Amino acid sequence: MRGTLAIIRVTLRQLLGGKRLIVLGLLGLLPAIVIWLATANRSAELAFQDYHEIAIVILFLIVLPLTALVLGSAALGDERRDGTLSFLLVRPLRRSAITGAKLLAAWIAAAGVTVAAGTAASAAVSIRTSDWSTLVPTIVGTALASACYAATFMVLGHLTSRAVLIGLVYVFIWESGISFAAPSLANVSLFRIGLTAYTGLLPEATRFLSEPLGSLTPGVGGALAKTLGIGLVAVLTAASLLKRRDTT
Amino acid sequence: MTTTPAFAPEPTVVVDRVSKWFGQKVAVSDLSCSFGQGLTGLLGPNGAGKTTLLRVIAGLLRPSDGSINLLGSNPRQDPSVYRSVGLVPEEDAVYGFLTARQFVRYATRLSGAGAENVDDAIHSVDLDDAADRPISGFSKGMRQRAKVAATLVTDPDVLLLDEPLNGTDPIQRAKLITTFRALAEERTVIVSSHVLAEVERMADRVLAVVDGKLAAAGDVAAIRHAMSDIPYQVRVESEAPRRIAAPLMASDEVTSVSVSGSVLRIETTDLGSLGAAVPRVARDVDVRVTGFEPEDESLESVFRYLVRRR
Repeated sequence: MRGTLAIIRVTLRQLLGGKRLIVLGLLGLLPAIVIWLATANRSAELAFQDYHEIAIVILFLIVLPLTALVLGSAALGDERRDGTLSFLLVRPLRRSAITGAKLLAAWIAAAGVTVAAGTAASAAVSIRTSDWSTLVPTIVGTALASACYAATFMVLGHLTSRAVLIGLVYVFIWESGISFAAPSLANVSLFRIGLTAYTGLLPEATRFLSEPLGSLTPGVGGALAKTLGIGLVAVLTAASLLKRRDTT
Repeated sequence: MTTTPAFAPEPTVVVDRVSKWFGQKVAVSDLSCSFGQGLTGLLGPNGAGKTTLLRVIAGLLRPSDGSINLLGSNPRQDPSVYRSVGLVPEEDAVYGFLTARQFVRYATRLSGAGAENVDDAIHSVDLDDAADRPISGFSKGMRQRAKVAATLVTDPDVLLLDEPLNGTDPIQRAKLITTFRALAEERTVIVSSHVLAEVERMADRVLAVVDGKLAAAGDVAAIRHAMSDIPYQVRVESEAPRRIAAPLMASDEVTSVSVSGSVLRIETTDLGSLGAAVPRVARDVDVRVTGFEPEDESLESVFRYLVRRR
């Protein structure tokens, strides 16, 4: 447990050090700034609609995947790139404990940025509308989607040094393109897990988000189960890769 | 267990017919040896397979063939063995954003060791003054010492040190060698190096590796002896090489002579005697020698000779 906590602490410093936090922090401000400017002089009802059609889309389709892609792929990728993976692997720790700690750190870092971004955006529209109903769903939705992305990209980051490039193709070609064109493919999309949790907690938002939701049914329980499943598979897959692959 | 120079009497690490290849490249080839208490030098030129062998022993690389027994376990299947194993890798495996003290403390937390040895470990590598500075600002030698401290702090029974003296200055080097020798009194210490003199100062037992194969094994004297009959080629430059060549041909230490322009190439098994003979002959025949240079005497060529001879 002591070793796992130590890995989480060091990984958080590794992930959020340097310019990374500043760049991601500025990106995270984007939904709040856009929605604040877009809802000036709008009625509460239109501002509520704008929040979902503008802020939520920017948050879930741009800020969240990019942040989790960068941080998730770096969780193991940075260790591999810097040669410090061997420092971790010659310790009396189960490989799943290492990958579990790495995922937890990547999720804390990614959720830290995206939940803050979501909270800021939600606060911006809530101040305009005096209605704070979007706050908790936004936090839950971004937190769950961050976990899914962080888990997937952590494995990708260990597999290839081109994780960010491959992740960008997935995010912008598959998730933002192909899966919109074919709603039946919505199941193979990570941000939508967050959106189903969001709309599960705020059903009146479903009418504004029916297009990105595709064939998915809103519900926080299902989203939570999917997130836990993806996390578990990612931890075990990464642990198996650490066991089976050479550390050069 | 076989008792030849390649095998230790009470082994803690056993390498059994290990091969490791990366695609078409064979890094270690059917290598068997063992290590016990004491300091063993793993000697060989760069690219000989020393790092690969150490990483296979440490469980970081899976052997393509053969097996490793590290303190009775296979490290790839039983990570708990790492409680008693320490590795100082050759590459810069440090976290630049941590201070040396934080780095060493991190090692204790990962290994489940107590933090009470942190200061001692830092002191043993002479990093006291820099302990609270980020490693990113360290020189190569300081980083190297930080890695050594992070390994020593867990008090391992088996220490694997891959070129641990790289980048260190002569004073630090002497101190580290003393530290390694002291550790080897009760532990298994394996140190790789491509510098013969370095290994000679540290190790009682040497395994020479080249092209992934065991070239020679034994104590330092035995390795030196194995090297003593290697034929050396010497290039001698002179205004009249043929006049020197004739009397040199009569010397016992000279096995062949060839002349090309002003250059005389002599093959000998006794470099020292030839070094004395050439000026003597030149004086006798009254010819000026303008150059005397052994050719192809790198450690690599010496080891290649040993491999060919086995």
